[in-house]
Amino acid sequence: MTILCVRFQLPPTREAALPELLGLLEEFTPVVEALPPDGALADLRGAERYFGRDAVELASVLRVRALALYGVDCVIGAGPGPMLARMALRDARPGLTRAVPGGGERDFLAAKPVAALPGVGTATARTLCEYGLDTLGRVAAAPLSTLQRLVGAKAGRELHEKAQGVDRGRVVPNGVSRSLAADRPFDRDELDPDRHRRALLSAAGDLGARLRAVDKVCRTLTLTVRYADRSATTRSRTLSEPTAHSAALTRTAYDLYESLGLQRARVRSLALRAESLTSAEHASHQLTFDPVDEKVRRIEEVADRARAKFGPRAVIPGSLAA
Amino acid sequence: MPGFTHLHTVSGFSARYGASHPERLAERAVERGMDALALTDRDTLAGTVRFAKACAKAGVRPLFGAELAVAPPESGADRTDTSVRRDRRRAPVRGGAFVDESAPRVTFLARDGARGWADLCRLVSAAHTAEGTPLLSWPDNHADGLTVLLGPDSDVGRALTAGRPDRAARLLAPWREVYGDALRLEAVWHGREGTGPGSLRLASRTVGFAAEQGVRPVLSNAVRYADPGQGEVADVLDAARRLVPIGATKELDSGEAWLKDAGAMRHAAERIVESAGFRRDTAHRLLEQTRATAAECLVDPEDDLGMGAVHFPEPHLVGAGRRTAQRALASRAAAGMVRRGYDRRPGRREYWERMHHELDIIAHHGFASYFLTVAQVVDDVRHMGIRVAARGSGAGSLVNHLLGIAHADPVEHGLLMERFLSRERVVLPDIDIDVESARRLEVYRAIIGRFGTERVATVAMPETYRVRHAIRDVGAALSMDPAEIDRVAKSFPHIRARDARAALEELPELRELAGERERYGKLWALVEGLDALPRGVAMHPCGVLLSDASLLSRTPVMPTSGEGFPMAQFDKDDVEDLGLLKLDVLGVRMQSAMAHAVAEVERATGERVDLDAVPEGDPATYRMIRSAETLGCFQIESPGQRDLVGRLQPATFHDLVVDISLFRPGPVAADMVRPFIEARHGRAPVRHPHEDLAEPLEGTYGVVVFHEQIIDIVAIMTGCGRGEADRVRRGLSDPESQGRIKVWFAQHAAANGYDAETIQRTWEIVEAFGSYGFCKAHAVAFAVPTYQSAWLKAHHPAAFYAGLLTHDPGMYPKRLLLADARRRGVPILPLDVNKSGVAHRIELVPESRKARSRKPDAWGLRLALSDVHGISEAEAGRIAEGQPYASLLDFWERARPSRPLAGRLAQVGALDAFGANRRDLQLHLTELHRGARGGRGDQLPLAGGRKTASAGLPDLTSEEKLSAELGVLSMDASRNLMDDHRTFLRELGVVSAKRLREARHGETVLVAGAKAATQTPPIRSGRRVIFSTLDDGSGLVDLAFFDDSHDTCAHTVFHSWLLLVRGVVQRRGPRSLSVVGSAAWNLADLLEVRREEGLEGVAARLAAAGGSREGDDPEGGPARRRLAGSDGQPAPAGSAAQDPMEQRRIRMSTGYEMHPWADLRPAGEGPAVGRKLWHQSPGSAG
Repeated sequence: MTILCVRFQLPPTREAALPELLGLLEEFTPVVEALPPDGALADLRGAERYFGRDAVELASVLRVRALALYGVDCVIGAGPGPMLARMALRDARPGLTRAVPGGGERDFLAAKPVAALPGVGTATARTLCEYGLDTLGRVAAAPLSTLQRLVGAKAGRELHEKAQGVDRGRVVPNGVSRSLAADRPFDRDELDPDRHRRALLSAAGDLGARLRAVDKVCRTLTLTVRYADRSATTRSRTLSEPTAHSAALTRTAYDLYESLGLQRARVRSLALRAESLTSAEHASHQLTFDPVDEKVRRIEEVADRARAKFGPRAVIPGSLAA
Repeated sequence: MPGFTHLHTVSGFSARYGASHPERLAERAVERGMDALALTDRDTLAGTVRFAKACAKAGVRPLFGAELAVAPPESGADRTDTSVRRDRRRAPVRGGAFVDESAPRVTFLARDGARGWADLCRLVSAAHTAEGTPLLSWPDNHADGLTVLLGPDSDVGRALTAGRPDRAARLLAPWREVYGDALRLEAVWHGREGTGPGSLRLASRTVGFAAEQGVRPVLSNAVRYADPGQGEVADVLDAARRLVPIGATKELDSGEAWLKDAGAMRHAAERIVESAGFRRDTAHRLLEQTRATAAECLVDPEDDLGMGAVHFPEPHLVGAGRRTAQRALASRAAAGMVRRGYDRRPGRREYWERMHHELDIIAHHGFASYFLTVAQVVDDVRHMGIRVAARGSGAGSLVNHLLGIAHADPVEHGLLMERFLSRERVVLPDIDIDVESARRLEVYRAIIGRFGTERVATVAMPETYRVRHAIRDVGAALSMDPAEIDRVAKSFPHIRARDARAALEELPELRELAGERERYGKLWALVEGLDALPRGVAMHPCGVLLSDASLLSRTPVMPTSGEGFPMAQFDKDDVEDLGLLKLDVLGVRMQSAMAHAVAEVERATGERVDLDAVPEGDPATYRMIRSAETLGCFQIESPGQRDLVGRLQPATFHDLVVDISLFRPGPVAADMVRPFIEARHGRAPVRHPHEDLAEPLEGTYGVVVFHEQIIDIVAIMTGCGRGEADRVRRGLSDPESQGRIKVWFAQHAAANGYDAETIQRTWEIVEAFGSYGFCKAHAVAFAVPTYQSAWLKAHHPAAFYAGLLTHDPGMYPKRLLLADARRRGVPILPLDVNKSGVAHRIELVPESRKARSRKPDAWGLRLALSDVHGISEAEAGRIAEGQPYASLLDFWERARPSRPLAGRLAQVGALDAFGANRRDLQLHLTELHRGARGGRGDQLPLAGGRKTASAGLPDLTSEEKLSAELGVLSMDASRNLMDDHRTFLRELGVVSAKRLREARHGETVLVAGAKAATQTPPIRSGRRVIFSTLDDGSGLVDLAFFDDSHDTCAHTVFHSWLLLVRGVVQRRGPRSLSVVGSAAWNLADLLEVRREEGLEGVAARLAAAGGSREGDDPEGGPARRRLAGSDGQPAPAGSAAQDPMEQRRIRMSTGYEMHPWADLRPAGEGPAVGRKLWHQSPGSAG
């Protein structure tokens, strides 16, 4: 009962506040693992003894502080291991910490559907349900060899252990590896490639500006296209070098879009996500003899300053101005 | 001012392009002062006949043409560039590719009479030989009798759009080579900007180019709709055709493509010539050219299209050899006389006289070839070993009977030739033949093989927009959420699109939707705008055209999508107008079912049953029919029929004929049923208006049931002869001619010495029932399979159910037939890969299996592999062929089922022989599948020889097994699904169907069950009644909901599967029983509540739903009096929708009124389909 799993109730626009919130956790323990975009795991083993309170009480302290300092509520689950803490989180509500007591793991798990177990994806869950193993209690009761036949040797063993409540996970401290997203919805089914490209240009420009504002670069760009029937296609691509340069992001976004070859698809929204963010200081940049590249980057710098002074729409690409 | 002729006009028959019906176009043309109008639909001539008729009515001269996509000449140097680019395009990951409409389109007009029409037919047929979308290849693109308009969408027009007159000149050369002087350049101005189609600049370029090239220009408006303001409908149609939302291609309709009058077109001409740099008064030359072109196009609908003439196959093809068809027919008829032994009977004179009389009539019309053709087809079908029966009025002809076309002897049953064909009747006779549905296409192939593709074509059936499709297409065009479109569309019954808004206001089950109607904006107006427009075309399920070798020059033919049969573009009414002989070959599933049953009996027992020779008047059969347990029997299985059979208590074949005739909308509406039943059971005296009429009315207790009786009455009273009497009978349905007939009838009857009172009373009968009655020949033809199927059900029940389940002929879902079989004591044997066949089979069940029974053995029904969801014919065949299988591995290796199929088989227990636990079997199958994929032969862990070892997985619970059966087989094979809910139903005090038989009349009861069928048929009072049938395992409960309960019940009844209903018992005979519903709940919901919240929860739910309900009047509200058929009262007050309803009642040609919402298929999911429960069942099912 020493691991907390915290999810801050952050609106998407305030993603950037996560590092500060993690700072709150770090006041209790150094062992904090960020779960972007809005969560974290914290190991309170030392803290319990140091502060003389158990994890549930510490969770209350945390909640109060987050509300007082940042006006952000949070949902907290507590458990003996990271996996159980995460699962407890799903039962928790704002204002109420759900804790799994040590020794009560099996009871806690028994009635849960298999899909609730971290690491059990839709495919595995479907397989298990097909064979009537729809709750973790039934999975725990099934022979290990059968489980291994169902989902493979390693996955089967892990599943078996997890279903018994054996949680071998550890909280691994890490820095904030966040991602940024920009979503461009359409108010009706949009098929026009020009409008799509315009939306991508705007989203990529937005991402670039936000990245540069926090001095980050991204390594991977992901495009999610949502359709009228609520389905979606996702494609991601690793950039040739980590960058926050809007032009480079736009180019990649266009490439991703072209690779879909959409014609009659009824697009309802386009979302770009910049992932694997790293600090801009550590990013390398391939210099070229082409002076244009240099000029574009300088213009971007100037435009950023103009935006800082006159608002985000002070400088925008011509095709978006219309 | 002289009128203007539109040379380029499309109607709604240009599927998803034109927005107006041809009739509307013709009307508008007259209103706007035009003398002639062309119809040039896209890729089709299907609208021609309707257009020609509408033009004749309106008084305009029709021009016929078509707009076709044309491939460029092969040698064209620059044709590859576009296609290469298309190929390079990446395949879209989602949503599909754009609909390719890049082929240039050209308008062809028929010019020289029949030759022009024949050329037009040939071109349209040739365009449809291409793969995919219709495209006329260049080698086919030549004709002498056609005028060609090269408009903005032609290759020449496109070159001009691109500002390339040089290229246009090059492209024009091949056209000029082929069509020479018949070529025209078409200028269109729709007030668009730029240089694209419809722009002023393109129009002026066209006119200028024409002057330069010496080709005559014409002016058109490329009409897509009759009236201004229909541009939005055209946008929806464009969107539906291109499968994109409106606005996706940026180009909206200009709103100008309507049927403009002469003044507007003159104005257009002036603008065009001016902008082309000519003087304004040159406009009259452009208009003059247009007029001259129209004047050349002379095709007469009667002479050139062949309307009104008849074309039969050549006599030598139908076995006449060198003789004339009439002589061949006479000798065949005489031979039939001898073969059937009528020449040796006592009444042989009557037979001979009748035969000669009929032959005379046939000779009078010259229809002998027709009879020989039908006889030839029937012979061919019979030689193929396919069950065949004639239906329709043709059964009234003795010649048909002698030729072997009709089974029943018309003399014995009192059927009249005149109802079918007489000297006075000039329309084509019509003989329908019923064949086994499963082998219908074989029959088509045989007919095509016999007469050749140049003489045979199937008939088209345009699919038109009704409300649901219209909502789907408009919704998609307006980019509505697909899930929402689906919800809105499904909540409507299958009504006309034009009634959408009215239905929203009036139908109780749409009330919820009506509340949010504003949200959908212009959806409703557009939906109504699409009303009845054709949206596609399918093969008519039964019509086959038979003609002489000139068929293809009179009819455009296209291949059907599935089977590639030649299909004429005309629909069944058109072909009659065109004088094409149509033979209706109906696939009747019951015939297939009976054939299967007979084959099963022979396979299993070796006993050969000849259904056509079963003994008449079999007591066991009639006992079964009288018990009203006639589920599955042809024509007498519907709830209404079961009720009627229960009241009528048929005892002879003639009773069956009467029963079938009475159960028609007309007789039910005219309330002929009650007097008949009263008289039959001796509760009312039999009355005749005059003793002369006693003979025709004898068999039906003085009630007029058949058309034949009316013919006889009129013939006897007036002495006019039966042919004339039949004409009179036809006139009765028309209120205008009815008045004239009344006078005529009175005069002639008086002349024959009948007194005024008799005439008056007879006329009342004739007037009341004349147009309602049923053709006795039809009824006799129907009653034959009815009796045969009932006989099978009584004597070979297992085989009968096997046939029914295999061919699914009836109105009920399969699971209901299975429940019926269970009730009749037929053991249901589960699916087993070692025993089940492709089709349902019968099997001897030894005594030990059937513990309760004292009888030694019983025939059981073994379920079929073909009912497994998703099984292919090949897979089923392979499994059946490889039987028996020794083990799971053996099965897997030899039957090679797909993995999902094997899984489903395991779920329903078809593999239980190989191991006990169905889930363990699944695991083994997965591993076998994986092993096969990995290419290594894995060995299965075996336990004790054949059985497969256990893997320790939990087995399916009994509930899950049932759920799997419903999901996989759509049938509850092991037990009735209602059995699981017995406890709850007992708690509620629900009366079972079995116990309901003892219920008192007027008692209020609760009933529950799975919904089997729901109908809102037209009924006498013109009101809307929802009839539904519930199955609760012990029997069927027939429900009726009258419109005072619709507000509260309609939605639940249409949209739930398991129902709990409160109602009042209605009893009308010993076997006739129904429940008039006053409240309905979704039983599945209640079961859920019972499970989760206990009885208190259920009580809360019932209180919430039923609390606001008006106090039910247990002793007969207005509803019950209506059901009893005795009310003549107006509608109950309180329904605001009554007044508009009165106006919109649909008057049938037979004179009785129909509620506008009384329709064939109501909303909702239809009858119980097992898969629904699959999702509703709690927890996961295996």
